[in-house]
Amino acid sequence: MGSDAGASFAPAAASAALVAHGLSKRFKKKVALDAVDLQVPAGSVTALVGPNGAGKTTLIRVCMAFERPNSGRVAVDGVDPWKHRSEALRRVGYVPQTPAVYRGLSVEDHLSMARSLHSGFDSEIARRRLDQLGIPLDQRADTLSGGQAAQLGLAVALGTRARILLLDEPLANLDPLARREFIQVLLDAVRTEGSTALLSSHIVTDVEDACDRLVILGGGKVRLDCPLEEARRAHRLTEIDAPPPGATAIGSFLGKGGQKVMMLWKLEAGDGAEPAGAPAGESASLEDVVLGYLAAGRGTAGLQLN
Amino acid sequence: MLTRIWLTYKHHRFETIAILAVCLGVAVAALIEAFRLNSMNVPFHCFQDYRGPYYPGPGQPVPDAATLKCNSLVEGFQGILQGVDMSLVRGLLVFAPILAGIIVGAPLVAREIEQGTAPLSWSLSGSRRRWLLGKVLAGILLLVPMMLAVGFAADILQGADSPGLNVHAAFESYASRGVIDVFWALAAFAGTFALGTMLGRTLPAIILALVVCFFVRVAWEPAMNHYVLWSFAKSNPPLTINGYFFGQVDIPLYEKSYIDGKEATSDEVQAWYIRNEPAIDAPTPDPNATPNPSASSAPGQVVPVVPAQPPADLAFPNYVSYGIPGAWYWNVVALESGILLAGSVFLGAIAFVWVDRRRPY
Repeated sequence: MGSDAGASFAPAAASAALVAHGLSKRFKKKVALDAVDLQVPAGSVTALVGPNGAGKTTLIRVCMAFERPNSGRVAVDGVDPWKHRSEALRRVGYVPQTPAVYRGLSVEDHLSMARSLHSGFDSEIARRRLDQLGIPLDQRADTLSGGQAAQLGLAVALGTRARILLLDEPLANLDPLARREFIQVLLDAVRTEGSTALLSSHIVTDVEDACDRLVILGGGKVRLDCPLEEARRAHRLTEIDAPPPGATAIGSFLGKGGQKVMMLWKLEAGDGAEPAGAPAGESASLEDVVLGYLAAGRGTAGLQLN
Repeated sequence: MLTRIWLTYKHHRFETIAILAVCLGVAVAALIEAFRLNSMNVPFHCFQDYRGPYYPGPGQPVPDAATLKCNSLVEGFQGILQGVDMSLVRGLLVFAPILAGIIVGAPLVAREIEQGTAPLSWSLSGSRRRWLLGKVLAGILLLVPMMLAVGFAADILQGADSPGLNVHAAFESYASRGVIDVFWALAAFAGTFALGTMLGRTLPAIILALVVCFFVRVAWEPAMNHYVLWSFAKSNPPLTINGYFFGQVDIPLYEKSYIDGKEATSDEVQAWYIRNEPAIDAPTPDPNATPNPSASSAPGQVVPVVPAQPPADLAFPNYVSYGIPGAWYWNVVALESGILLAGSVFLGAIAFVWVDRRRPY
């Protein structure tokens, strides 16, 4: 659990596909991950949300054994990726932030390469996905649009038939239509294969409809880790001087239009049940929840109006 | 593995095509130069009887037609040897293995890191070493046949350049022809892909590799002579002078001086010369000399003065060369190839260790 307000939420599932315990990573003096505790339940689609520099990419890179943690442990499907890299990576499909395609190689070449590198790679799955999206296999990958390149990356990751998909801000450079297509393909695949996905993004609306669990990362710490619905139900948004009864203040931030400072409150019944009586304030959107926790993480001073 | 090798060539198609074109081009150019030399059909005795480019000079008797033809054939042969195209081909033959190794080795890992494809490959492969092995094999499979072609073409050119020389029993330009070219290329390749793996950048790896390889290549023969071959030369009998005047057959490494059959130091030799200077320098009429009409036409000069000759009973210091005889060609090539191969394996091992530890970006 995170070290801040959200830490009181219990893990949703006992069987976790990805577990981090006390995970820390520093780059010289900069702390990228600060004692992160996290459990991603098997079969879930978890959104890893946070601003730029929150540690999302570092967390995924540690899971991919691209970075060695300074302390703490991480287990991907029960395997420590740093100690047993091959075994761990066999269980993971990875989609990087920037679509990584080989210049001069065709889409089909990418599938051939994936097959030659990964013994369990199923070209047919990848081919079918690409076919559905109308991406020609003989096209050079460096001539694909950003959305198509991202789809190629996803198709390769899905072709591995990995139990866990780690997607590092794959939507960041896509237009809205490409984002929607990407999410749809991802959800279809997860439902079909029963795999687990951890999808990082700094844009909340991207992941709102796709995910069933939310992890908010800010300043290298987990600020919130709970099911998405619970995150919506258990929070209220009011003006800063109008607290709902029996609620805990999380963080204040500028409301829409920039005129009012809004405060996010966590209701006492943090298990998601509607509290007795009608709590004051409006229901918080997912974006409000994220803003509230991020404001809490960085201190509210910078977000308050005078 | 074959798929990966093929895709490596496809991904690095510019380097692959450049290496194929340059190596085959250099090999063909060397063969053309060798053909030009061979097609002169200069009889071997013409080289021995060659009198120089301006023969016959003023006042010299006009030789017979055969001698004149011989002389002009050798002049034509020398003209080809001194041509710009020949110099260019020879330069390329020396540096082609190193350049090929650098060009193939530098982008092997570095480009994947630069273009951001390493995370994709490494996430798929699991074992980075296995991934790297496929790429290294692709490089080796490209370099070995190309360098054999270049090396053998260089051997053929050396044979044409030095008529009558057994190129496999002589050390003329031995470090830049034949099978040793393969090992030069492999050493440059291993060193450069190790640099590329460590730096993660292609251009800096190329520049650094060029500087290092240049110094290693220049220092190679002196270093080999001094540190490796020297010890073999000490246990060898003295080199015999075979009188061949084309190219270097043996590798002379040091000389010993003897005075009256006893080994002498350089100080003793110097002392001997100082002691015997008057006798050496005194001009002595040569009783066997015959007047040479072309030597001087000065009136009144009856007895020609010949260069100083020591008295017949003066035993000069005797210099004996020690070194590696030409017959050891294959042994030396095998030894130096082995050293280059060991260096390649060492540098390659560094890359394999490093790739396992480094970040893919």
